[in-house]
Amino acid sequence: MTFRVLDPTAEKAPPAGKAAPRLASLEGKTIGFISNGKEGTKGFFRHLDRMLREEHGVAKVVSRTKSNYSAPADAGIVAEIKSWDAVVSGIGD
Amino acid sequence: MQLASRTYDANDISAVQELYHSSGWTDGLPIVPPTAEAVEACLEWAMMPPDQLIGIEPVRGLAITAEKLAINAVMAGCLPMHFPVVLTAWTAMMQDEFLMHGATASTGGCAVLVVLNGPIRLELGASGTFNALGNSDRATAVIGRAIRLCLINLMDVRPGVIDRSTLGHPGKFSFCLAEDEEDSAWLPLHEQRGIERAASAVTVMAAGAPRQIMNEWTTRPEEILETFAAEMRANLRHYSIYPGNYAIIIPKQLREHLQAAGWTKTDIAAFIHERARIHRREWAEVGKGAVVRDRGDSVYPAMERPDQLLVIAAGGPAGGFGAIVPPWLGHKSRAVTLAVGACVDCEPPKK
Repeated sequence: MTFRVLDPTAEKAPPAGKAAPRLASLEGKTIGFISNGKEGTKGFFRHLDRMLREEHGVAKVVSRTKSNYSAPADAGIVAEIKSWDAVVSGIGD
Repeated sequence: MQLASRTYDANDISAVQELYHSSGWTDGLPIVPPTAEAVEACLEWAMMPPDQLIGIEPVRGLAITAEKLAINAVMAGCLPMHFPVVLTAWTAMMQDEFLMHGATASTGGCAVLVVLNGPIRLELGASGTFNALGNSDRATAVIGRAIRLCLINLMDVRPGVIDRSTLGHPGKFSFCLAEDEEDSAWLPLHEQRGIERAASAVTVMAAGAPRQIMNEWTTRPEEILETFAAEMRANLRHYSIYPGNYAIIIPKQLREHLQAAGWTKTDIAAFIHERARIHRREWAEVGKGAVVRDRGDSVYPAMERPDQLLVIAAGGPAGGFGAIVPPWLGHKSRAVTLAVGACVDCEPPKK
């Protein structure tokens, strides 16, 4: 017996975000960190902050932490992103 | 009825199973082939067109349609009469306060506990007695399984993809129970949570695995409930201090002692709210001294308010057992109760 069966998946991909233009250099740039606030993010971002400033000439690092680590970033943080040259979003368990 | 989903032809039932397993579309168990006829029967039962939008998942923007829910419900073993419950549970899960993406993606590994109330339990043969938290009956088994298959296939909540659970628990196969309203003097859960008693309703909760308790050596309500509260205190110590919705399941033997003493669900919740709380310093006793810091005297209740406790009458007639079902992460996800057939976003009728 032949079966004709249906695809159970969404089929449509979720609306894709568009990647921002890549930076040619980090020199003099402002980089934002968005942390989910978990313990593991602290050492990671501390280290990355130092690396970016000392080894890549980043001018400014802005650190923000989500109020709920299981939910999307707060609207206030998302609104700030446009004033940064790049953003690093980190999940640390 | 015009279905939009892509179709596949398979030569026999084994080929169907291999197609679905190899595509990552199952929970590891065999599925019922979702043919157009079976899917249309579900949609017709619920009186929904295939493209009916049930909601848009807010984090990744995925549209959830009735057709896709029906396909997964059929795969789980649902008959058309089960489908309205699946639709209602999904509508409830898509409310903001449930935080579906966070709850189902989390390393915390929770499952969606689905509680059925009202006359639909009887129509479906959903049993709230023997083995209530296990394989008690067909209806709760397939409805609970449908919730998981929909998560897997519609939101990519596959292990290692969106589902980042460290451990998960067996309720992720199916985690649905019906309240034993016929053998209880208490208000059913849905009425306790503001729905008309005559309506059928579904409550969803982002839930950890059940933890069973036993106390058959007393008839005093305070002592019985102290055992439940102790297990909740253990959860606050060993797992998470976040307050929120806990469920407690009280089977008949313990229920009769509570009811004989005149205790209502509201009385039970008030007592548990007082007793299920710990001091932060207790974390030091279970190896978590590093996070006590200077707040050892702070008190953490399991619930912010007594009405966050979901008291459910269910279980077989004998045995001094009960269970608590802890929340995934307390205040981050709230239990949601919706009437079956209710329209969440409808405009109120014009006068």
